[in-house]
Amino acid sequence: MSDVTAGPDAETKPGHQAIFFDGLSSRRRQVMLTLADALEIAELGEVEAPSTVTRWTYDEIRRADSPAGILRLTSTSAPPLARLEIRDSALAADIAARCPRLDEHQTTGRGVAKIVGWSVAAAVSIVCVVLFGVPLAADRLAPLVPKPIERRIGDASEVQMRTLFGGESCSEPAGQAAFSKLVNRLRDAAGLDDDSMTAGVLPSSVPNAFALPGGKVFMLNALLEKAESPDEVAGILAHELGHLKHHDNMRGLIYNGGTSFLIGLLFGDVTGSSAVIFASRSLVEASYSREAETDADTFAIEIMHKLGRSPKPAAELMFRITGKEGGSGLTILASHPLTEDRLERMTKEDRPASGPPLLTDKEWQALKGICGSGKI
Amino acid sequence: MNDMQWTPQGPSEPVPPPLPPLPPTRVDFTGDRTGFRKMVTKGAMLELATFGFYRFWLVTDIRRHLWSNTSIDGDAAEYTGRAKELLIGFLVALAILVPIYVAYFLVGIEFERWKGFASTPLFIAFYAFGQFAIFRARRYRLTRTVWRGVRFWMDGSGWLYSLRAMLWGALVFLTFGLALPWREAALERYKMRHTHFGDLRGDFEGNGWEFFKRGWWLWLLSPIAIVIFPLAPFFYAEFKAREWRWWLNGLRIGGVRLSSELPHDAFYGLYWKMIGWWVLLSTLFGFYVTGATLLLAKLTGVPAEQAFGPGHAAKSIPMLVAMVIGYLALVLAMNIIMRVYLQRDLWARVLETVKVHDIGAAADVRASGELASALGEGFADGLDVAGF
Repeated sequence: MSDVTAGPDAETKPGHQAIFFDGLSSRRRQVMLTLADALEIAELGEVEAPSTVTRWTYDEIRRADSPAGILRLTSTSAPPLARLEIRDSALAADIAARCPRLDEHQTTGRGVAKIVGWSVAAAVSIVCVVLFGVPLAADRLAPLVPKPIERRIGDASEVQMRTLFGGESCSEPAGQAAFSKLVNRLRDAAGLDDDSMTAGVLPSSVPNAFALPGGKVFMLNALLEKAESPDEVAGILAHELGHLKHHDNMRGLIYNGGTSFLIGLLFGDVTGSSAVIFASRSLVEASYSREAETDADTFAIEIMHKLGRSPKPAAELMFRITGKEGGSGLTILASHPLTEDRLERMTKEDRPASGPPLLTDKEWQALKGICGSGKI
Repeated sequence: MNDMQWTPQGPSEPVPPPLPPLPPTRVDFTGDRTGFRKMVTKGAMLELATFGFYRFWLVTDIRRHLWSNTSIDGDAAEYTGRAKELLIGFLVALAILVPIYVAYFLVGIEFERWKGFASTPLFIAFYAFGQFAIFRARRYRLTRTVWRGVRFWMDGSGWLYSLRAMLWGALVFLTFGLALPWREAALERYKMRHTHFGDLRGDFEGNGWEFFKRGWWLWLLSPIAIVIFPLAPFFYAEFKAREWRWWLNGLRIGGVRLSSELPHDAFYGLYWKMIGWWVLLSTLFGFYVTGATLLLAKLTGVPAEQAFGPGHAAKSIPMLVAMVIGYLALVLAMNIIMRVYLQRDLWARVLETVKVHDIGAAADVRASGELASALGEGFADGLDVAGF
């Protein structure tokens, strides 16, 4: 049997044994290797002489993963899972030296550098989109959201808010009339064209007010109780109308959705990333919402001036509720400007009243009692 | 050829004489622990430098290490998956998940309009997706697992699996967890019956009752672990060891059978080492934060309690940076420790107890099966679900 095309210089020492898997079955074959022009793999028969199974040219041979002490090879021309295992280290070194492209497919240092480079590029691009792209998109898209969609989102959040802050709006008729009068005057001054605006007072012990998409403004009764004049309440309402005018809810929604998604994408599932995601989201969103609040304040100042009233009382009301805010917590994480800064700003804008009072004393008393006396 | 003379004349004679049962073969793990530690340390650093994108490469390297150092009957396995497949799978999964998130948001609005917080149960849809991802991720991993030049592969449907997982999940929920063994048995049976090695078909012979018998008292005692929390790691270690052993004993591929004598206390050491490291690292982190605060207070001349106050925003930035660096170092170290103990050491600990019976049945298996895409891994990554 002379299937073995052993050249005169080919080495056929008995040490050239190896194990071969042809990639088509799991049969373990004892083979004899001949290092000729190409690597010749011959199966050892029981009785007869070795018969050539296949030959691999050296530049087609690649390294496959293996435990230490075993050289495992595969060939680009063979079935993808064909494997040749060499356990003799001298033979392994000899063959490895003959294969010029043995490790060509492995990730090299340069490959790693490329991964790092592209990742950094991706990160920079995501950060730029978060800082510039998403705010721009939110500003441009928010006014374009069709009214019905905005109203639907508003309806949904109204249901949620009512669940959180106690059911039905307060409906003392005289108080309701006074509240409507106040809201309507502010709305006209603000030039809001939303004819289906809803406004109400909710019975809650949390002193707050908020605007929802679709022209909804709610004031919580505790805030009303702490107020000492119609101007205080009007300033707060004007601020909330500012949010409506600027579509801040929709902007916030688009902005928060976009940044959460992008930041989540960036950090993926690095263990402990949720803390990083939370922290970076809080930072960028706080700065964005601080800006929106400042703009709403600017708007409130304009409205109050237009009505000939001072914006200062509203800031005083806020200050009475929150107290001095600085000194507690990280200021760059605050979602609102500090109350003392707002008070300072509104004080600068303080002007003597030039317009008629927004509500008469009687209406004011009715408004204070809109939720009934002592009923929260 | 002389044997032929003794060939029996009548057809009644049984042809193959029954072979004496071969002794079971062992599974050897020869991975170098130091090498693994260095690999995950480097990987963790690169993960940080690449904002996490390196995870695809690190996970692939870890699997390649674990697989190629595991030999059954003298032949080492091989993992042929590559990081680029995972990256592409992740990107494709994102492309599919994004519209789903948007749809989820819109449907959520409709639900909320009807009733406050009514959309909360919608997360169930994501749970179903997660189960689908678990099935498909396993399929990916199996089709990249090669032994003796033949790959494992899986058929079956990810969605049918997800449906089963959901129904069983509901039952587990209704029985306060008592149905868990039966759920695991049923799901594993589905997965294993759709698992193949070449032309051999897998099966799972473990049953829920057996698992229940091994672990029911853990279920009864689990409220105690909530009160006396240092007991929790023991309980969890007990549970995991019993679960592993039961699972391994049930695995079948063709005629090949696995068995394991994993002791019930096998993981105590691993979990307590993890906790020890965690305490040590958190203490170090605490010292670091205190030290950094005091040092900065000294350098800037601003008392520590004022550093976070108004007007000092610029001065609190170095403090923030110091905290972030410390936090990242902590996370990095925990990552390395988790991978060394809970992946490498656990793998080695389990494998040293495994015996393979009748491996001869896998001596001449014809290769078959197609490669599956890494989409499932991408979903699992995007949805943050883990499971095998």
